[in-house]
Amino acid sequence: MTANVKSISEKTKSADNFLPVRGGVEKNPTGIPGFDSILEGGIPKGRAFLITGSTGTGKTVFANEFLYRGITKYNEHGVYVTFEEQPGDIIKNVRNFGWDFDILIKQKKLVFVDASPDRIPIEESGKYDLSGLVERIKYAVRKVKAKRVSVDAMSMFFSRFSNKDAIRDVIYRLCDELKNLGVTSFLTAEKAGDIGSSLSRYGVEEYVVNGVVELYLESGQQQFIRKMFIKKIRGVGYRSGMVEYDISNRGINVFPKITINPQISRTEFKNRERFGIKGVDEAMGGGIPQGHIVLITGNTGTGKTMFGMHFIDQGIRDGQNAIYIALEEPVAQVKKTAGEFGFEYSKYEKEGKLVFVAPSLIDMRNDDVLNELLNVVKRINAKRVVIDSISSMMSATMNEESVRQFLIQATRFFKSKGIACVMNFLSGTNFGAAKGQLLATNETSLMRLSSIVDGIILLLYVERGQRVKRILNILKMRGSWHSNEIFQYEINGKGIKFGERYEE
Amino acid sequence: MPQKYVLKLYTVESCSTGVLALRNLKEIISQESKTVFQLEVIDVRKNPQMAEDDKILAIPTLIKKLPPPIKKIIGDLSDKEKLLLDLDLIPQNKNNDVRVRRLQ
Repeated sequence: MTANVKSISEKTKSADNFLPVRGGVEKNPTGIPGFDSILEGGIPKGRAFLITGSTGTGKTVFANEFLYRGITKYNEHGVYVTFEEQPGDIIKNVRNFGWDFDILIKQKKLVFVDASPDRIPIEESGKYDLSGLVERIKYAVRKVKAKRVSVDAMSMFFSRFSNKDAIRDVIYRLCDELKNLGVTSFLTAEKAGDIGSSLSRYGVEEYVVNGVVELYLESGQQQFIRKMFIKKIRGVGYRSGMVEYDISNRGINVFPKITINPQISRTEFKNRERFGIKGVDEAMGGGIPQGHIVLITGNTGTGKTMFGMHFIDQGIRDGQNAIYIALEEPVAQVKKTAGEFGFEYSKYEKEGKLVFVAPSLIDMRNDDVLNELLNVVKRINAKRVVIDSISSMMSATMNEESVRQFLIQATRFFKSKGIACVMNFLSGTNFGAAKGQLLATNETSLMRLSSIVDGIILLLYVERGQRVKRILNILKMRGSWHSNEIFQYEINGKGIKFGERYEE
Repeated sequence: MPQKYVLKLYTVESCSTGVLALRNLKEIISQESKTVFQLEVIDVRKNPQMAEDDKILAIPTLIKKLPPPIKKIIGDLSDKEKLLLDLDLIPQNKNNDVRVRRLQ
């Protein structure tokens, strides 16, 4: 019986995160972290795959890592065809990633076909083809019993020959011969401006290669943001859309969008996640329904962070682990502030019940943060998440649309896991509302967020009788009863204190 | 003392442009009576390592190893005047005449 339960939970676990692979073409994992998951397993086995992008996108690193991971992870030997850099320079360059090509060459696991520019002058005199190159590659493949071939960079090669027919012919023949040899090949080509990749200039890209990935550089605030996009893969499934990647001193890291089965939602109205603030939970019919996403919006100083802190504290008291995404204040300060109000965040953190996620505020990478969230949720089985705040996320990325995408992804993921999430949003317009029109002004950005979230708690200031009063209203709580009243509240030494119904 | 030429012709068996290049080259060799030619014909398929060492891409490729400078000539060598020029078999002054003629 126990075994049964376990196997079911394991099944749903995998169904949560991965959609099934479609089609019958076998995949060859590249071994590049994250890349295979956007390719749903790898690149088509025994076929040619093309990666294009402008200068500086890291095409060569992809070509290098494809071979390195192939040899070291899968024992698939490789041939490196270089049209651009000399083998000696490549060997030197990849040492920076900790990859020792010299040893691999000595072990006869890797071999170069050096087609880098010749120092000897070349004259063209009459008809020729480029079968010399094809023969050399075939020889190299046989020599080390290669399963993988990287060709870097096709485009450099083309500019060296005037006979365009010979070039077109060699691309066809090369891809054909490589296919016959049963190797999986990884070709790179410079993307020339907006015209499309250099390969398509010769009208072969669409027919010859079985998959195309394009790399982009987008300028962020302080650095370039690297993005990639799968243009096509013949006959196999892949995840569409732009994903971000990074090149570190250990190589490439692709941050796949997490795929979530939208069929699965673990919202449970019977189970309520309490704030532990007397009155607030009651106004929502006992708390936030399990798996609900609730937005707390209000001006600066209304106590949004405080509500979030209560939510985490009560969760941990109720035996639920939690994640705090700190974008407003440094984590150390969050812990200190919490301590002032009697919430033992440092202790919770030490006990492994609370994990802080603090993404970089400049050029935050959504997919990076999402993947971290995914890992933490897996690790501590978190049931509550607080994001403080969405507004700082917007100013960090300077891109409202990307934040929206992030929220859609994150909230779907939370729902699939039955995680209740409270996120704070700074709304500047809710100050000094006129008499009788307390809720009249709402930002359009808040309205756009409204479709993503299940609930909205509105915090407001009103200026009455020479005093600033704090009031709150539960504007929305999908599928659940909630009070329509406007309540007063205070912030004291123990946090939020819920007050009387507000009447004018 | 006649001048000595060391030439290597890379080709592939039953390659029509390769056959043509060899025929054109032999014709010139037979005409240049004052020069000694040492010609080696290499099949890329049978000697791929040699092709690797000489960084051969195009077929046919003729390499002039001697006299210096080393030079590669790719193609079927059907333009004999150009071949003479590329092999430095036309003296410098005449060289210019050929260039002028070619431009016309």
